[in-house]
Amino acid sequence: MAGQKKLTVVISQHQGKNPVKRQLEEELAMACMMDPEIEVSIVPNLYDLSHDHSGLLFLKGIQGDVVVLSWLFPRATQWILDRTGVKGKAGTVFLVGEDDEEDEDQDEAAEKNPDAIGTLDVPNRLIYSIDLRASKDPQEFLAEIRRIVEVTSTETVDLMSWIQGEPKKEQLERYLNPQEIFGIGSSQTGSIAEVEAEEKVSRRWYPVIDYDRCTNCMECIDFCLFGVYGVDALDRILVEAQDSCKKGCPACSRVCPENAIVFPQHKTPAIAGAAGEVAGLKIDLSQLFGGGDAVEMAARERDIELLRDGRDAVGLAVGIPKRQANACGVRDELDDLIDGLDDLDL
Amino acid sequence: MAEDLVFMMGKYEARVPTDCLYSKSHLWLRKDGLRYQVGFTAYSVRLLQDVYFLDWSVDAGAQVFAKQEIGEVESSKALSTLYAPFDGRIVEFNQLLLDDPSGINTDGYGNGWLFTFETDAEPLTPEQYVEVLEGGWQKTQNMLKGQVN
Ligand code: SF4
Ligand code: SF4
Repeated sequence: MAGQKKLTVVISQHQGKNPVKRQLEEELAMACMMDPEIEVSIVPNLYDLSHDHSGLLFLKGIQGDVVVLSWLFPRATQWILDRTGVKGKAGTVFLVGEDDEEDEDQDEAAEKNPDAIGTLDVPNRLIYSIDLRASKDPQEFLAEIRRIVEVTSTETVDLMSWIQGEPKKEQLERYLNPQEIFGIGSSQTGSIAEVEAEEKVSRRWYPVIDYDRCTNCMECIDFCLFGVYGVDALDRILVEAQDSCKKGCPACSRVCPENAIVFPQHKTPAIAGAAGEVAGLKIDLSQLFGGGDAVEMAARERDIELLRDGRDAVGLAVGIPKRQANACGVRDELDDLIDGLDDLDL
Repeated sequence: MAEDLVFMMGKYEARVPTDCLYSKSHLWLRKDGLRYQVGFTAYSVRLLQDVYFLDWSVDAGAQVFAKQEIGEVESSKALSTLYAPFDGRIVEFNQLLLDDPSGINTDGYGNGWLFTFETDAEPLTPEQYVEVLEGGWQKTQNMLKGQVN
């Protein structure tokens, strides 16, 4: 493929029709189109794409490094893509939003829980997730994209090692001319609005697991009474029936002891996948001071959904973690943590 | 006077004086005539560490309900929204703390009181509060861990 040396930039649109957001998306798309080293495509909001949506098939077809711009926290973008099989290592992005600032010299590994099960089959390519809320100025995004172009073009990675598995024939055909699917690129009209007309995308709502945090403890599967979770062939937790999840309900994310469950469209940044601590790297103790016990709140939210389904509320009687029971094993490490709070130097 | 109860947070001894009553949200309430004086327990201060900012979002005299948001606290390491411990009325805030909240750290069970409060609710006894601490410790650690790593 001739385009292999180009950096692919994918813009995931906002769910709504907010003109300001649309304008930013379009300006970025136009500017990227002018850049000979960039291949740009627009897809509807990543989170909403169903598994057979052509936008997703297109994403799966990209083999090299890719920049994904979306109105989501980068962690959310990364794991939404991972769930759909679009895998890669997280590229380092310097342009980050206020809610998502991390320690400058905090490396990637610091985000990971050492006990986490991680994701499998990660090809040797980088996915740069950029939050479109990080700035209002298109120039800042373009500068960041240019920077990534420079970085990636100096990398020497065997292109073939990116290719994972044999794509099906019809998929391959779609990959070969992705621009045409989306009506931009070579098309003279360049109308980005065409994208939506292609396939109708409705809003979805489901949990996304961050496998860099998840320890496979299975508390979510015990807790959810709507059959959303399952396990794969290797007994790894999996969001199996995404669309069985209840719109607006983030209950299981409160139950997960590792904060590994992301609801990308939830209004609370911590649930929507903001990195680590929100609001300037401080620990939020609101739960402690009466801001609702997370598990109680989760059970309440679950009861509301059960009642809506015409089932009986179960309160705290079903699937509630009994974490105290096996507390001993990890105790020391956590003790250290508390004792070390002073040294954390956050 | 009876000796303080102690709850061990790792190696740290969080004092739970027996002349106070408590709320699950880690506030102490000390009867003062018809009302209570309310402040942060040693447990909460330990987690907050150096408090440098305290702000109330309701006015003195306000009628509040349990878990209603009433203000904010921020320290060098943490921040939190603050919630009313029970249904009741906040009579008066500790003005000294608004200028300089360090009293919370230096004299948490005394001059570091936050506000005075009228309520018909029955706060926890010191023993019950220690039970709450014991029951919640693991979860607190998980929560901190989830946020720190
Ligand atoms: S509760 Fe959280 S850590 Fe446990 S299996 Fe589910 S996602 Fe993973
Ligand atoms: S939000 Fe509710 S319905 Fe959806 S997966 Fe979690 S517990 Fe199940």
